[in-house]
Amino acid sequence: MTTALRAPTRAPVKVNRRRRRKWGSNVLAVVVTVVWLFPVYWMINTAFKPRPEVMTSTPIFFPKSLTFTNFATAITQTSFLTNLKNSLIVVSGTLLFSIVLGLFAAAALSRFRFNGRRFIMVGILVVQMLPGTALLIPMFLVFNSIGLLGTYWGLILAYVAAVLPFSIWVMRGFFITIPVAVEESARVDGANTWQVLTRILFPLVAPGVIATSIFAFISAWNDYLVAYTFMKSQSRYTLPVWLASFTNPQGGTDFGAQMAASVVFSLPVVVFFMLIQRKLVTGMSAGAVKG
Amino acid sequence: MTTSTAPNVPIPEAQQPAPQRPNRQRKLASPAPWFLLAPSGIVLLAVTVAPIFFLVYTSFTDYSQRTLFTGVYHVVGLSQYADILADPDFWASVVRTLLFTAAMVIGSVVIGTAVAQLMTRLGTAMRYVVTIALIFAWAMPTVASSMVWKWLFQPGYGVVNWLLTQPRVFGDMTNTDWANNAALAYLSIWLLIVWQAVPFIALTLYAALTQIPHELHEAARIDGAGEWRVWRAVTLPFLAPTLLLVTILSVIWDFNVFNQIWLVSQGGPDGATSTLGVYAYKVAFVSFKVGQGAAISVITTILLIGLTAIYVRNLIRSGEDL
Repeated sequence: MTTALRAPTRAPVKVNRRRRRKWGSNVLAVVVTVVWLFPVYWMINTAFKPRPEVMTSTPIFFPKSLTFTNFATAITQTSFLTNLKNSLIVVSGTLLFSIVLGLFAAAALSRFRFNGRRFIMVGILVVQMLPGTALLIPMFLVFNSIGLLGTYWGLILAYVAAVLPFSIWVMRGFFITIPVAVEESARVDGANTWQVLTRILFPLVAPGVIATSIFAFISAWNDYLVAYTFMKSQSRYTLPVWLASFTNPQGGTDFGAQMAASVVFSLPVVVFFMLIQRKLVTGMSAGAVKG
Repeated sequence: MTTSTAPNVPIPEAQQPAPQRPNRQRKLASPAPWFLLAPSGIVLLAVTVAPIFFLVYTSFTDYSQRTLFTGVYHVVGLSQYADILADPDFWASVVRTLLFTAAMVIGSVVIGTAVAQLMTRLGTAMRYVVTIALIFAWAMPTVASSMVWKWLFQPGYGVVNWLLTQPRVFGDMTNTDWANNAALAYLSIWLLIVWQAVPFIALTLYAALTQIPHELHEAARIDGAGEWRVWRAVTLPFLAPTLLLVTILSVIWDFNVFNQIWLVSQGGPDGATSTLGVYAYKVAFVSFKVGQGAAISVITTILLIGLTAIYVRNLIRSGEDL
């Protein structure tokens, strides 16, 4: 592009160079796509291959036959149904509480002005940045002494605390965009604060509620560390622990089944993730997601 | 919450001072916001703020596995810290964590920036394809991606082993056991983390790149600046705040990486991939020296406080209306 000014005479060269660069960019883009997609492709590919085609010294990139045997093995072999049930209970609990509590707090921080508001906002940011691995030890001890260890409530509480700051932050963003006039006209019509909140404001932040629900779902669904540390029994574990349990340290891991399990486990997350991806890009930079 | 109706409803009576200029937000000392904040506040105070203090307290005790059942423990002052600071394993872990974090952050930020830059040069269709590929990698739960990684790098049957054997440069790597060699374990975990970190960085930076006014680039080119100069003089200054943000976030996240290391190498071989988080976990929950694990966690948190403070301050300054 350095030739930009010496335009008229060199025009063909410029076009040529630009075309070559365009071509180069596209080649690079294909490389990036292949590298980033390959592990995902390989997971799916392995999940649908019959065992003899999984364990080969030369990988079979395009399976000759498709089978669902791996999926059958994955969901029958271990405590899949129990762990799925646990996951669903914990995830729903997390969703419910983080949304309700988050809505209230977000409303307070956006529709009211009061002393200490700024302090609370900063506090929420700071709390969000505390390292989860450091909180694990004291939470474990406290939950142990008050009997929450190994219970759904303990896990739900831990997850709600983890996603709440983000929920508050995102929903607050939605509240702020609602014009004050909407609220005022409701008040003029005689609505009290509770009615303004539940009849006017909450319905208007519905998109924010959906975005934060998905985020809460993904966080609670994906967590391995807390569930693994707190639940400590096969019948209490959630799905991430089920997925990790396919690994056999002595060798002989059934990789077909494990990849099928990975597909089953990842599918809902990937679908939901696609839905809120845009929100996550802005939300994460606005400071509120633990990686 | 129904108690707070009165002050805000206009009362058409004499004592009401003439129609107030409608405040953007009510400044009245209404208890409503406090009622609304209370549930979240209680949860956050009880489950995240209080435990941090309890963590510090625990680090001054000899809390151990027995204590979990008997409830008996003693305050031992600074002796846990003294033990840790005298332990070469701890120092090895600190050095390892710093180097590994630096390697992961540099890798993901550099590659992320390159991919973002690449995306600006693509046509709509190709850019869409790249975006989809990135989102797939980003969306994968870390437990699943760690399992996939173990499979990709499996001795005997791993695709990566096969691929590296093909060019006959590295010798026969078919049976290389990545998890059993410190350098290789690091390499595979590094690849995993960078693979999953790049999408967020690339998409965030790409969003920032599209905000740069086009005229600036053109002006610089007309002034005769080469591609690299244009990037240094125009793009970089615009990108700097976002770049700083993703770098700080990456440092914080990578410093605390746990799942991937734990699931891919269990911190092995022989502790070689035990970064501070994994090390603290092993001390607290495998050896069950809880007091000592707490002390390691306190040190880890202190190491991160500076960065977290910069990050929070930046956010507050960035004009976000608190």
